[in-house]
Amino acid sequence: MTLQRTELAPLSEYAIETHGLTKKFGSFTAVDHVDLAVRRGEIYGFLGPNGAGKTTAIRMLCTLLSPTSGSASVDGYDIVKQGNDVRKKIGLVSEKMIMYPRLTALENLMFFGRLYRIERNALRKKSEELLEMVKLTPFKDKLVGGFSSGMRQRVNVIRAILHDPDILFLDEPTTGLDPQSTRFVRDLVKGLKQRGHTIVLTTHIMEEADELSDRVCIIDHGKIMAVDTPQALKDKYNTSSLLEVFLGLTGRELRDSANERISMRAPMGRM
Amino acid sequence: MLLFFFILFPILLMSMFGYIYPPVPKSNLNTGSIGTAFPNLPVSLVKMDDGQTANLIAAQFIQISQQQGLFTVSESASYQAARNQLVLGNIKGIVIIPQGFSDALVAGQPATVQVTVDETNPTTASVVQSEISAVFNLIGSSMSAQNIHNMDGDRVNPAFIMQPISVTRIPLINGVSSSFQFLAPGFMALTVITGSLQGVATAISREKEQGTMDGLLVAPIPHRSIILGKVAAQTVRGLIQGFLILGLSMVLFGVQIYGSPIIMLIVMVLGTASFVGVGIIMTAIAPDQETAQMMTLILQFPMMFISGILFPIDQLPGWMQYIGKAMPLYYAADALRKVIILNASLVAIMPDVLILIVYTFLTMTIAIPLFDKAMRR
Repeated sequence: MTLQRTELAPLSEYAIETHGLTKKFGSFTAVDHVDLAVRRGEIYGFLGPNGAGKTTAIRMLCTLLSPTSGSASVDGYDIVKQGNDVRKKIGLVSEKMIMYPRLTALENLMFFGRLYRIERNALRKKSEELLEMVKLTPFKDKLVGGFSSGMRQRVNVIRAILHDPDILFLDEPTTGLDPQSTRFVRDLVKGLKQRGHTIVLTTHIMEEADELSDRVCIIDHGKIMAVDTPQALKDKYNTSSLLEVFLGLTGRELRDSANERISMRAPMGRM
Repeated sequence: MLLFFFILFPILLMSMFGYIYPPVPKSNLNTGSIGTAFPNLPVSLVKMDDGQTANLIAAQFIQISQQQGLFTVSESASYQAARNQLVLGNIKGIVIIPQGFSDALVAGQPATVQVTVDETNPTTASVVQSEISAVFNLIGSSMSAQNIHNMDGDRVNPAFIMQPISVTRIPLINGVSSSFQFLAPGFMALTVITGSLQGVATAISREKEQGTMDGLLVAPIPHRSIILGKVAAQTVRGLIQGFLILGLSMVLFGVQIYGSPIIMLIVMVLGTASFVGVGIIMTAIAPDQETAQMMTLILQFPMMFISGILFPIDQLPGWMQYIGKAMPLYYAADALRKVIILNASLVAIMPDVLILIVYTFLTMTIAIPLFDKAMRR
């Protein structure tokens, strides 16, 4: 089966476009009429406090959640009507690691790679190359369950790019990693951009967003507060740190309550 | 640990139930053998008549009871003393030979032996009562035989007068029938079906919680492939479990197989397929792994009792039989029993098979879209 882009959505300069994208869990609106436009080949920093709607938005774009209203296209494919085409084009690194602890690093890669129908020998070669790239060749036959979180995240990231997805979603890829692994993963993300992947990155570390992102989008209470390059935002708010911009836009109050609301009202949303 | 729950637990349960059931009594008036599931139960004999006949019959009762291993008989001075022993739990029954017993028999009148049993335990009570009756029947028939002989000389066969029509059983199968023969197929079906039901629910919920389900859902594969993969894996595990249980029952309890293993396999696969959809539905409904497990447990526990696994469904009140017969487990166990014990062909169990197929379609038709929806709510 060859891939056919729809007439309506020719190869545009945008890898991801959303129009009025909305997701409600009961009476709680997690994502509220969001219009996004992610350019091809850019690293798009997607920032917001806990419960702002980042993960919900990403899960909709990955076809893991159905939108309540609005529309979105990923690489020209509609996320509702052409879910399978979308899935072929994307890679996901989510908050929870997508990996079986009882399989070895190589077995995990082989398993997930086969889901994309990559031919077995080509897949093995590719897996070994990628393992070499993240310096895990000596551990390829060890169980992932015994890995440190840094090692696991390196496997997790290369798992997401086995099938060379055009678009990569990285949801807090450096959370919980030690400084060395954080550095490694950040460099890996830069490298992936060099390889031509479009990357949507969420993070709570503003210096990371500043360092990696071509543009950042700050979202709060399900709504977009600002979209621009980090430098332009800093200039606009007359500060040298993106953190100040972020706090200026989203306020300084703690967001524990908002987070609780999500887990209470939408227990199924986080499957 | 896992091995214990999946293999040893059913075996343990089966052995308990197998031994609780008294086997079919193999009493035979002609040979005088009574047979018991509870050998050497302690009973007390209270003799209130000191006549010669009473003494003779009391001695015969003690002799037969001990010879056949039915009771260990002790003698009590009074009914009150024996009753105290029974209340204490030291004996299970009291046999009273009342005053005037000898006189009645000598005068050519029927006489009565009285029995008190421990009514706090209905099973033992009924066993004790029926075995005491059986012993006295035996004594009674030899007396009648003697009486008839005395009256009629050798002209008539005493049996013709005492029991003109008798019933003997032609065994349906060769070999010994035991409770285990009934229990083993049921337990096999139970293990396979509930094992895969729970297995699927647990496996899917675990992947959801662990996060790997996202990895499967984000890949360009249809959701039903994910479900079918889970179902296939758990079915294979269930089948291995089922056959292990059958193997262990053969070794431990002498269960015999008369039917074809291929038909057994077909029945077990169908049994699993018929119910695994329910596991998927529960996973779709349940918010987390614990709830899913709880739900399957709540379903599977009563199912065990009313689907004819532990005892025949005919023992249940009518309305409960209807519920039991609404469970696919009933048909899987029924079919498996017919195949294992009666060497039934696929044609012979076709009604069961068809019902299981209908169940498969029904549950799957509900389960697959529900799963699909739940996964991206």
